[in-house]
Amino acid sequence: MVGKNCFAIASDRRLGVQLQTIATDFQRISKIHDRLFIGLSGLATDSQTLYQRLVFRHKLYQLREERDMKPETFASLVSALLYEKRFGPYFCQPVIAGLSDEDKPFICTMDSIGAKELAKDFVVAGTAGESLYGACEAMFKPDMEPDELFETVSQALLSSVDRDCLSGWGGHVYIV
Amino acid sequence: MESIQAKQGLVGPNDPIQRTQLPYVTGTSVVALKYKDGILMAADMGGSYGSTIRYKSVERIKPIGKHSLLGASGEISDFQELLRNLDELILYDNMWDDGNSLGPKELHSYLTRVMYNRRNKFDPLWNSLVLGGVKNGQKYLGMVSMIGVNFEDSHVATGFGNHLARPILRDEWHENLSYEDGVKLLEKCMRVLLYRDRSAVNKLQIAKITEEGTTISQPYALKTFWGFTAFQNPTAGAEGSW
Amino acid sequence: MTKQHPAWSPYDNNGGTCVAIAGADYCVTAADTRMSTGYSILSRDYSKIIKLADKCVMASSGFQADVKALQKLLAARHLIYQHQHNKQMSCPAMGQLLSNTLYYKRFFPYYSFNVLGGLDNEGKGCVYTYDAVGSYERVGYSSQGSGSTLIMPFLDNQLKSPSPLLLPAQDAVTPLSEAEAVDLVKTCFASATERDIYTGDKLEIVVLNKDGIHREYMELRKD
Repeated sequence: MVGKNCFAIASDRRLGVQLQTIATDFQRISKIHDRLFIGLSGLATDSQTLYQRLVFRHKLYQLREERDMKPETFASLVSALLYEKRFGPYFCQPVIAGLSDEDKPFICTMDSIGAKELAKDFVVAGTAGESLYGACEAMFKPDMEPDELFETVSQALLSSVDRDCLSGWGGHVYIV
Repeated sequence: MESIQAKQGLVGPNDPIQRTQLPYVTGTSVVALKYKDGILMAADMGGSYGSTIRYKSVERIKPIGKHSLLGASGEISDFQELLRNLDELILYDNMWDDGNSLGPKELHSYLTRVMYNRRNKFDPLWNSLVLGGVKNGQKYLGMVSMIGVNFEDSHVATGFGNHLARPILRDEWHENLSYEDGVKLLEKCMRVLLYRDRSAVNKLQIAKITEEGTTISQPYALKTFWGFTAFQNPTAGAEGSW
Repeated sequence: MTKQHPAWSPYDNNGGTCVAIAGADYCVTAADTRMSTGYSILSRDYSKIIKLADKCVMASSGFQADVKALQKLLAARHLIYQHQHNKQMSCPAMGQLLSNTLYYKRFFPYYSFNVLGGLDNEGKGCVYTYDAVGSYERVGYSSQGSGSTLIMPFLDNQLKSPSPLLLPAQDAVTPLSEAEAVDLVKTCFASATERDIYTGDKLEIVVLNKDGIHREYMELRKD
């Protein structure tokens, strides 16, 4: 979710195989660099594989360019990697959030074959997607300061995962 | 002496019963609207056998009783069977000779139940019906689908009409349409349907119902113009593989 | 390739969203007035809320023909009840009747998603929420239909009802005033309409309280 010169990215902590919970402290959100995060919901092996490939590609980029990737560039990279597997996709939906050099927030989500969805306000993904849409649509305000953004995102996340059997066990919230 | 066959028709007691048929001869859209003095309804006279236009003089709008008009799209024979049932209903209602008669509201409600009960038997009447009428100064216009979905509105259209005609009606319809403007509006809808619905034919009837009674027009054709550049070279504006 | 031929289904989904909120001495029931089939809109002004008894209204979404059949059946059963008992059915009684009626068609269900709103025998607001085959529960607030997944978490967040597992049982009615509840319902639908294509056109709100029944409307997005 986007705020004023900041963004928030949040997810729940449950890892499960259908109805069985495997772990309750799962990290779905990973850092690419200090101002760029990615959340990967879906099949955990695919998420981790994709994450490793993304980190690898980002490191190559850093070595060649001697700078960090812009969020927009990174989103295109994720999209391209996903579309490579068009007919045998990674079963995961990414959420990408980053801050540009001018502190302009960028958020984006994709389906499992890399169709980008850019939004100005908020993006959601995963099993509680529809609940999150409802909660965020009702709670979002433009240009929130970090504290208020944290509260809004946390409330939206908690009330949404409570209505989804496959999500829960608390959440991680990152404010950048 | 009645034989088992006579009692049960061609289906024997142990034969599997077959219900869901296919539509054979079908009619396309019906469009209707409320206007100042009553209801106007339009339908073309095509009867399609699959994608072949097999019949060209099918009457798809009929008066029911004194106060109502019924228009149908879908399976023509189902519609005609329904008309026979309704004629009987009106007759039996008339035989009470109590001065009461079924109005459009009652008929619409009745049709709703007929369609819904047939779907419950998994043997639907394959039609979308439009019922319009005027009784005691009250205009009435409603629709029923093959599975019983029903509603009232100030303008309705079945099939393709819901996609092509209703947007025009939403734009241009108003409560105080005169008869002339109403007919013009319906003709505009029917012309769009004629251009874009392949099973439409250029021979239609427009029916009017008011407090005074029902009139159904003689079949007539619309003036058409096929010289639009978009018709002559439809792919001109479309870039890409097509 | 086999030849294509027309097929039919005895069910359709005509969409729509319903919400009900119970307060200490009132009940707010609301639904949008759009009726759709697939990607087309059939009507922009179809009321999904009916009055079943003096202190009981039902809002229903799902398959319109089934909903209509259900409404007619309940109206008929209520008429018989009035003849036999010379009084209006209470909301809890209607709640049980609706459940039984839905379960009666367990193996060819009414494809309808209902919320029942009203006042109980003490004049307190009550809301019953159902699935298509008659499972039901008395709650403080509920939402059903195509936009329910968008609205429900927001209601949870705003109304935080006590867990039904608490002992002794806690009152489920919401702490809001009547005007606040009406405002909340409006907010819910404004949000749901943004994301659910089956919700829109107009919102119909029915408020039940000790003064009787009162209807109001709010315009929603039409696209």
